[in-house]
Amino acid sequence: MSLSRRTKMITALTGTMTLAFVATGCGSSSDEPASAENPIELSITTFGNFGYDDLYAEYEEANPGVTIEANNIDGSANARVDAFTKLAAGSGLSDVVAVEEGWLGQIMEVSDQFVDLNEHSAQDIKDNWVDWKFEQGTDPNGRVIGYGTDIGPQALCFNQDLFEAAGFPTDREEVAELFGGDDATWETYFDLGRQYNEATGKAWYDQSAFVWNSMVNQMEEGYYTADGALNVEGNEAMRAKFDLLAAGTADGLSANQKQFDWGKGKAFVDGSFAVHVCPAWMLGTIQEQLESAGGGPETGWDVADVFPGGASNWGGAFLSVPESSEHPAEAAKLAAWLTAPEQQVKQSAAANNFPSTIEAQQQIVEDAVPNELFNDAPYGAIFASRAEGVVAQFKGPKDSVIQENVFAPALKILDTGSGTADEAWNEAVKLLNELVVNN
Amino acid sequence: MTTTLNRPASGTPAASKTAPTFRQRLNVFDVKASPYLYIAPFFLLFGLVGLFPLGYTFVVSLFDWHLLKGQGEFVGLQNFVEVLQDRFFWNSLFNTVSIFLLSTIPQLVVATAIAAVLDQNLRTKTFWRMSILLPYIVTPVAVAMIFANMFGEQYGLINNILASMGIDRIMWMNETLPSHIAIATMVNWRWTGYNALILLAAMQAVPRDIYESAAIDGAGPFRRFFSITLPSIRPTMIFVVITATIGGLQIFTEPKLYDPRSAGGTARQFQTTVLYLWEMAFQRQNFGKAATIAWLLFLIIVLFGIVNWLISRRIATTGDERGSRRGALSGRRKKSSAPAVVLPAVGTQPPAPSGESAAGNPASTDDATTRSGK
Repeated sequence: MSLSRRTKMITALTGTMTLAFVATGCGSSSDEPASAENPIELSITTFGNFGYDDLYAEYEEANPGVTIEANNIDGSANARVDAFTKLAAGSGLSDVVAVEEGWLGQIMEVSDQFVDLNEHSAQDIKDNWVDWKFEQGTDPNGRVIGYGTDIGPQALCFNQDLFEAAGFPTDREEVAELFGGDDATWETYFDLGRQYNEATGKAWYDQSAFVWNSMVNQMEEGYYTADGALNVEGNEAMRAKFDLLAAGTADGLSANQKQFDWGKGKAFVDGSFAVHVCPAWMLGTIQEQLESAGGGPETGWDVADVFPGGASNWGGAFLSVPESSEHPAEAAKLAAWLTAPEQQVKQSAAANNFPSTIEAQQQIVEDAVPNELFNDAPYGAIFASRAEGVVAQFKGPKDSVIQENVFAPALKILDTGSGTADEAWNEAVKLLNELVVNN
Repeated sequence: MTTTLNRPASGTPAASKTAPTFRQRLNVFDVKASPYLYIAPFFLLFGLVGLFPLGYTFVVSLFDWHLLKGQGEFVGLQNFVEVLQDRFFWNSLFNTVSIFLLSTIPQLVVATAIAAVLDQNLRTKTFWRMSILLPYIVTPVAVAMIFANMFGEQYGLINNILASMGIDRIMWMNETLPSHIAIATMVNWRWTGYNALILLAAMQAVPRDIYESAAIDGAGPFRRFFSITLPSIRPTMIFVVITATIGGLQIFTEPKLYDPRSAGGTARQFQTTVLYLWEMAFQRQNFGKAATIAWLLFLIIVLFGIVNWLISRRIATTGDERGSRRGALSGRRKKSSAPAVVLPAVGTQPPAPSGESAAGNPASTDDATTRSGK
């Protein structure tokens, strides 16, 4: 009797153990390579215009068993809130998450919540990227947490029709010369704006914040010094640029448009402003705006190989895999594939942005596909030229907060004409202390 | 009462000797405890999703608490001190109250007027009643998108119309008061019909013969409305005011989606307190202060609730006095008996009407209406 009871117990125990083994077996199989027999679903969250839709289909076809569930968020600021909310909740993040350069610094503070891509052979493909881009995606402990997608070298978009109306040259090379070519300065930029305003009575740029972002991104050190200290209060060089911009805006050069809205794109069609700072990805944004407002190549937008104050980079993104992903290996594979040179070329064609891998950059320069929407501009060559001399600026943890919640409201004071340069700057410093220093 | 209690003891002495059976105990238990068990689910759920978060939020508000890094140092009431000195908190409070006033007052006035019109003998009355509820079933997101477009500063429909009439464009987004009006418009558009239906239900419960006798006595439609309808629907009106107050102080969706890229406008010109709470928690990632704002908002709503209650109680009692006094003073005229008759009728209504009871009334009164109306 007692014997049989013991046997029963042993049987039960082994049974449970077998079950446990089976269960763990099941668990580990989830990270086995996906196949038709082991179908998995990978989710990915991007923002703005990423141009990935066709690539998802291509990847699904090449990798049977993988289904991609894509989410796209309207704008990087909302994507930031989404990402951090889900990080805090400890769940809900996609298997692959697009991270913007501006809030990469904030992600770096919790970089241990992201998969070290070195475990998925990041070092083998390291040389694909321009070196500063790869370094940006590496945390202080040498963990690689993001593969670069695109970079944002800045050129100057201008409207041919409006330039013609003001008696300015309209050929993109002549326009580059007009702004001073390689020696283009912000002073010339604003002076030309005043001339344009005198001739036409219209605004020169859409709103002050974008011009300001370009100016700051161009500085050797931006809102933070290279050692990570805040660098706004008492920063004479930055203040000088602020005053330059404030003077321009006070002279009626700003159209006081709402950024990333532009009256659902109408401002790009109705001649509200004549120039626009254009990091490569902005071409994709303008494309969307023109589509929304029913505009096409006839609206007269073009892009010139020139930028006031020299080379500047604004924005660019990374693909990261959070630790919460159930399929880290598959997710890393997808991220690597999407950011590989071949795919970056296709992405660039779809979203009009500029790739961050050297091979892809060379490829689009060689292909020299003209950009129809921008008067057949050879955008590959233009942005490759604009990318020369770009130095990666250190981005602190609150960089995008300072850009969007400190300086954007202060610059709105200038745009609406409700305050002087001093008042706007003081408001910015005050906001900085409230939102960043003493948060 | 006593006899019924004694009867089992004297009538059936056997029962008193033997101990009560299990079944009897169960019966006693059933009678005594069942009511509490029936209402227990609500209180359990309320404790779980209402009371516990309330308490836990207070605990969080006493700490430095970061969205990602979690619990930090214990700081006592420091968060409360800082939030109360925070200009954005007061700004958000001002915006909330301003939007609340701009939405609630016109909303209730218009809702009452609509209800009064719907209370008349209209053709296809179901059609009209359903129509005014339509805005309520449209999602707030869609409402906000459409209105944000209409109120666009440079390309919006409203400014275009104003411009075509030679009036200056209004800065619906960048200026404080116009942005509040724009948001209040969205709120009004959504809630006026809903409130009108509730008020209509209350109006239907007013006995028709009172109107008839008032009309025979020569009271015009306005006199009938102010002297009969309004006093009669007072309890429902109080209910509507209280729900509108609570809703108005927690307004979030409309201002958030009016400018989805910011938390209530670039210069916080239409940032409500709940929106500021959201910004604090998820943009500034300071959970401690966000919890503090949540608690302060809770206290403010309680305060508003008490003020509401006091005022409405006052209105209710003074209304009674006024009604009877008027009846006594103007006893000469027969018409004056109308309000005096109304008040007892109101008294039969539940003193604190809820949405259900208000909505439940018309079904029964509808027949009465049609019968007496024709």
